[in-house]
Order: sequence, then structure tokens, then C-alpha cells
Amino acid sequence: MLNQMTGGEKMENKKSLWSFNFSTMALVLIPVSIGINYVGKLFAQTLKLPLWLDSIGTILAGILAGPWVGAISGGINNIIYGLTVSPVSFAYGITSIAIGIVAGLMARMGFLKNTKRAFLMGLAIVGVATVVSTPINIIFWGGQTGNIWGDALFGFLRSQNWPVWLASGLDELVVDLPDKIATTLIAFAIYKGLPKRIIILFDE
Amino acid sequence: MRSISLYVDKDSLIHKIDPITKLIYTFVSVISPFIIPTILVSSIFVAVNMIILTLGKVFKKVIPIISFVFFIIITIFIIQGMFYGGNSTELFSVFSLTFYVEGLFYALRIALRAINILLTFSIIILTVKPSILIESLVRRGLPPKLGYVMHSVLQIIPMMSSTANTIMDAQKSRGMETEGNLWIRMKAFIPLIGPLVMNSLVSTHERSIALEVRSFSAKTQKTFLNEEKIPAAMKYLRLVIILIFIAIVVWRVVL
Repeated sequence: MLNQMTGGEKMENKKSLWSFNFSTMALVLIPVSIGINYVGKLFAQTLKLPLWLDSIGTILAGILAGPWVGAISGGINNIIYGLTVSPVSFAYGITSIAIGIVAGLMARMGFLKNTKRAFLMGLAIVGVATVVSTPINIIFWGGQTGNIWGDALFGFLRSQNWPVWLASGLDELVVDLPDKIATTLIAFAIYKGLPKRIIILFDE
Repeated sequence: MRSISLYVDKDSLIHKIDPITKLIYTFVSVISPFIIPTILVSSIFVAVNMIILTLGKVFKKVIPIISFVFFIIITIFIIQGMFYGGNSTELFSVFSLTFYVEGLFYALRIALRAINILLTFSIIILTVKPSILIESLVRRGLPPKLGYVMHSVLQIIPMMSSTANTIMDAQKSRGMETEGNLWIRMKAFIPLIGPLVMNSLVSTHERSIALEVRSFSAKTQKTFLNEEKIPAAMKYLRLVIILIFIAIVVWRVVL
């Protein structure tokens, strides 16, 4: 790279979307991001906020180290919870993985340039989370999500004979829209506030 | 250091069974009710799991895990009882709300399957020490780096929890409000999560240096500190479990 710079060639600074960063830093980021997920949820509960805020770490991992690390962070997050606290987490591991991937891809596509774009990234994450979680909700819970408002909507729509997949999808959307938008914007705000010397650590 | 796991350390018959056997059993017990989705099969597994948990002297600890889904199961009965697509046979009516047999049976199937999955995983959650589980997997081929990542999560979470409390106290002493209307509480979130993430990412760097210094990335063959002792009887137990599973699959295919 030094040769390129002194040779006056244009420096290639756009990473491939899917390039695989598995340095030790990226690896150690995974448990830390799971810890951030945990503490995010802890703070949300302590402050009695009506949001889960338990995916901040997964999204940050994707932003900092790419879609692969984001995916693995999400997957291991749910596996560990599944094996130590609550088996329900296991099933939704796929959702976490999807969120990590989308965050990583969109970060590399330039969606962190400003707040408006970050909001769009949030919407994309909401969409993916909803689409991936709905089949799981249907298989395990007949379409419900365990959230009072979402399930009330589900019950109402089913009473009007709306198809299960649609009622369940809207149930999940009601739960995910506020939560994942907030999570993404918080991750974005944190990312913007990080000093360059830290972000550099995770580059290949 | 408090761990996040719900593992209960007891000396029971079930605790003596090795983690891999339990994993095989978990697979069989969770998948079978999907292969033969009848109330009978689910109930049998639920009963067997309850016996296993009682033998493991951890039955009481399952109750918090189950109570988590208790509420949603009740709402499932209510919603499916009234609005299930295949409803046709009325069972009873309450305040002009009609409940149908088909919906209630569907809800029962879902409830039993969910409870079965919970009970099955509870066996692992309550009778397998997480570090031993991870080590068993690494011995059998799980990449050691992945094993490290999983071990590390279990240690990091209690550490970050206590850091979180410290940060909360620190910010409160600087005048951050944590009580009041929703907007005030939401404003408090960033000053809490910000320092925590900074702190964690810096420690990430330190952690990776510490690992590298201990030849984490070296390509040499690594050896285990502890010896693994598995009673020979486990082989037979695993065989029995696998045979039961094959029988179930055959049952489904043939009938």
C-alpha cells in the first residue's frame, strides 16, 4: 500500500462488501458485542423503557467488522442464551444472524454517512427482522410474539379472518419497528462518537 | 463472579451423564414432536423430561423458565380457541365469545411442543456446566477459537454488568436523571451506553493483545489441561437414544 501511495496511484479504499475479517480483534469483538447486547437490555429494563434494545452489540459488530462478524455475533448471542438461560433464544438465532449481516453490509455500502441514511438502515433491519422472525413465530407460537400489543393486533386481525402470515407479520412489525429503529440509531450515534483510533483497530 | 448461567451444581444421576449424550437426547426430544406432531408424542416426551428433571433434582428450578412462556400460552389458547382457521365445532361460549374445539386443540399442540422444548433444554441448562459443555464440543472438533468466544461470553457478561452499574452511579452523581417521564428516561440511555461501549472496545484491544501474547493464533497443536472421563455406559445410552429416534422416523415414514 505504501508503494501505491508513493507511486501516485489512486488508493483503493472501498472494501469488498463480503470480505472476511477474522483477526483476533474481530474475534474478541464477538463476546464483547454480546455483552453490549446484554447491558443494553439491562439499561432498558432499569430505565423502564418500552423497548428491548438487546441488539445494539450485534449491529455495532456488523458496523465495525463487517457482515460475517455481525452474523457470528448474532448467532452466538442466541446460542449462549439458549444454552444457559432461555431456550426460546435458540429459535430466533437466525433473526440475530440476519440483523448482523444487514448491519454489516449496509455499513459498508455507506449507510452510516448521515442520520437519514442510518434511519434507512434501521428500516431495512426492521424489514429483515420481521420477515425472518415471522415464520419462526408461526411455527412455534401459532403466529404470536409474546408482546401484548402485537398479539392484541394479531388476535384482532385473525378475528377479521386476515391470513395468518399477514397477521403474524404485522404483529412482529409492531414490536420491531420502534425497537430496531431505536437500536440502529443508538448504534449509529455510538459509532459516530467513537474515536478513529478505535474504529481503525477493526479494519483489515 | 456470578455467571449468567442457571446451572445448578448437584450430585445426581443426571448430572453424571456426559454433555454430548445430553445434546443427542436434546436433538431427539426436540425434533420428534415435529416429526410426529401428535398430542400423544409431545405428552410422552414432556413426561419423560419431567422425570429426567426430577431425577436430576432440579425440577423446581424449571418453574421460572416455564413461567416465562406461561402467559403467552394462555393468550395462544384464547386467540386460537376463537380465531383458528379450521374452527367449526363449538365447545363453549362466554360473553358472546365462542371457543372452538379445533382451535383449542391446536393451541394444546403448540403449548405441549413449546413446554417440551423448554423442558428438554432445561436439562442442559440446569445440569450441564457451560464450560464443560464447550470443552466437550472443542474436544470433538469445534474450532478452539469458537470455543474461546463462547467461554469468553460467560465471563464477560458479569464483568460488563458490574461496569454498567458503576457507569450508572457515576452518571447519576453527575446529575443524570433516571426517573420521570419517558423522554427523560430515554435521554438517559445514551450517556449510559456510550461510556460502556467505549470501555468495552478499549478492553477488547487489551484482550486481543493478551491472547496473542499467549499464542492464541499460533498454528501449533493445543492440548487440554483437564482429562475427560466418560463412563463406558454412555455409549449404550447414546445408542438407545439414537435407536428411539430412528424408530420415530421410521414410524412417520411408514404410517
